[in-house]
Amino acid sequence: MSTLAAPRRQWHWQWLPRTLGMRLLLILAAGLLLAHALSFALLFYERAMATRGMMLAGMEQDVPLSVALLERLSPAERAEWLPQLQRRTYRYLLRPAQAGTPLASDRARQVTALIDRSLGHRYALRPRAVSARPERYEVELTLGDGQPLTLEVTPSLLPIARWLPWVLAAQVALLLACVWLAVRLATRPLVQLADAAERLDPAGASVAMPQDGPLEVAQAARALNQLQARVSAHVSERMQILAAISHDLQTPITRLRLRIEAMDEGDVQARLLADVGQLGQLVREGIQYARSANVTLGPAVRLDLPAFLGSLVDDYQDMGKPVQLGAVAPVALQTHPQVLRRIVQNLIDNALAYAGNAEASVRVDSAGMVCIDVLDNGPGIPEASLDAVLQPFHRLESSRGRDTGGTGLGLAIAQQLTQALGGRLRLANRDGGGLRATVELHAANAVRPLAG
Amino acid sequence: MSHTDHILVVDDDRDIRQMVGDYLRKNGLRVSLAADGREMKAALDTSDVDLVVLDVMMPGEDGLTLCRNLRAGKHRAVPVVLLTARDDETDRIIGLEMGADDYVTKPFSSRELLARINAVIRRTRMLPPNLQVSEAARLIAFGQWRLDTSSRHLLDEDGTAYPLSGAEFRLLRVFVDHPQRVLSRDQLLNLTQGRDAELFDRSIDLLVSRLRQRLGDAAKEQAYIKTVRSEGYVFCQPVVLVGDPA
Repeated sequence: MSTLAAPRRQWHWQWLPRTLGMRLLLILAAGLLLAHALSFALLFYERAMATRGMMLAGMEQDVPLSVALLERLSPAERAEWLPQLQRRTYRYLLRPAQAGTPLASDRARQVTALIDRSLGHRYALRPRAVSARPERYEVELTLGDGQPLTLEVTPSLLPIARWLPWVLAAQVALLLACVWLAVRLATRPLVQLADAAERLDPAGASVAMPQDGPLEVAQAARALNQLQARVSAHVSERMQILAAISHDLQTPITRLRLRIEAMDEGDVQARLLADVGQLGQLVREGIQYARSANVTLGPAVRLDLPAFLGSLVDDYQDMGKPVQLGAVAPVALQTHPQVLRRIVQNLIDNALAYAGNAEASVRVDSAGMVCIDVLDNGPGIPEASLDAVLQPFHRLESSRGRDTGGTGLGLAIAQQLTQALGGRLRLANRDGGGLRATVELHAANAVRPLAG
Repeated sequence: MSHTDHILVVDDDRDIRQMVGDYLRKNGLRVSLAADGREMKAALDTSDVDLVVLDVMMPGEDGLTLCRNLRAGKHRAVPVVLLTARDDETDRIIGLEMGADDYVTKPFSSRELLARINAVIRRTRMLPPNLQVSEAARLIAFGQWRLDTSSRHLLDEDGTAYPLSGAEFRLLRVFVDHPQRVLSRDQLLNLTQGRDAELFDRSIDLLVSRLRQRLGDAAKEQAYIKTVRSEGYVFCQPVVLVGDPA
């Protein structure tokens, strides 16, 4: 299976996260942040424009007034008045402009032109840029009595309120939270749907999906539930037929067997007995298989696995069967002993039928699963057939199943029952030859018994 | 033995009834046949029956009901071997809970049935249980253990189950049915013999040591099973019937 090459991905967006939720989150968050940033940029631009308009309008009325006032005052009084004439973006200085450079920005030239216009072109203006960043320029003119007056302009936006960045950050956070919520809302039912579909058990033991939530999801859930109901009805009908046939066969087979046993002993009788024995086993396992799909579990108990495997192996040894107990980890598991017993028995019976020997052991794997292994030294199973042998009535072509009396149901029953326990049955060929059948059970309820 | 055991075969299928009867007669047993519960009661009332072979799947009153009624009535001491249709742990458990002494799964061989019948008769005759009620009790407590007689495992104080092998269970069952009583190796061997398919090749001594291990009974202390030199073994813990598991 693992040798199958993964299909080459066609698209190039490899950097995108794999889950739908993350993708949606990424797209929505990026879009919203961008839109947010854009609207704030616009807002700031508009604010800058408005501030400048205000400044210019103010200057247009204010500058001629101030200049006229200073003209009237005696040179001694002028200095006292200067602080009162000062505005947020410009102030008056009684000195010539600094050397500086010619004006660089259009805005500065506009402002200078405005001042010139407002003063009715009566003064010769000498504008000089003093500093580029922060922008500052000085416009010098000479008052009527020859004293130089310099208008120092430092254009600046209205200062931003201190709380504004925080509000902004809060807004963005709120936005992201909403996006996350929306994405979750949209994808969670999908995840639940997928989970439920995964758990869907054709035998009908699985729980129906909740049919609430958003309309589309509820619809999908309903469809899935209906599908499951149909499938499980179909399966259980098949199982019931199998069980009924198998069950009704038991009485005639019993009669047949008793009749054959009443015959004179001999070769023919022995063969007939062997046949009827095989027939009986087939019927028995047919019933077991039919019931394994819908097994009633009863209450679970905490089962000591070393004692469990030990007693099972002892039973086989008491019957003279070559079954050994391998390494046993001291694990206890909340489970159904009768069902687990049937599973392990079937695996051991299979090993005995195909390999003539078996070894049972229990371990806890790296993922924390409790694994019960049944090993044999037989021919194993071709890799391609590992899955197929778990199907009912499947037998390997080259099998000696006929001689050994296998019905081809033992592993299928074990598989069904393992699923009923919420576990998994895995078959694998061992490196040195032979088969390893592993019952993997969730260790969530595994407990380590006290040592000793 | 001058006494010939009298077996009552109850099965609704005429052919099976007769063939089983023929086989048992051929093997030296006295046999009566009954087709249903009514005939079974009549036969039990009119003659001394040593054992009932009872089919579970019968129209009308089924075998399990009949078995339970039998246990509640005046013939409660008569051992019962059930013929069950399904080879399933739960059916076995239900059967034993209904008071059956043993069971044979259809399709069975007549040889197997005969072996079961003989084993049950031997068991009940050779050493009648001190605790008749233990047949019906689900849990038997002794020392720090409880024995679940239908699931066939030991429960420790925390409720963790320690399954027993068939032979270990049978041996322990004999012990707890006869506490404080010395049992010889021969008695134990006879009483713990399993199904005829089982080649019971373990000596009783080995089985006892295995059982001691399961019980955590150190060979030196012998808190549960004491060795009685040249006589056999004795189960030395007091035994209490608990009923249903909590």
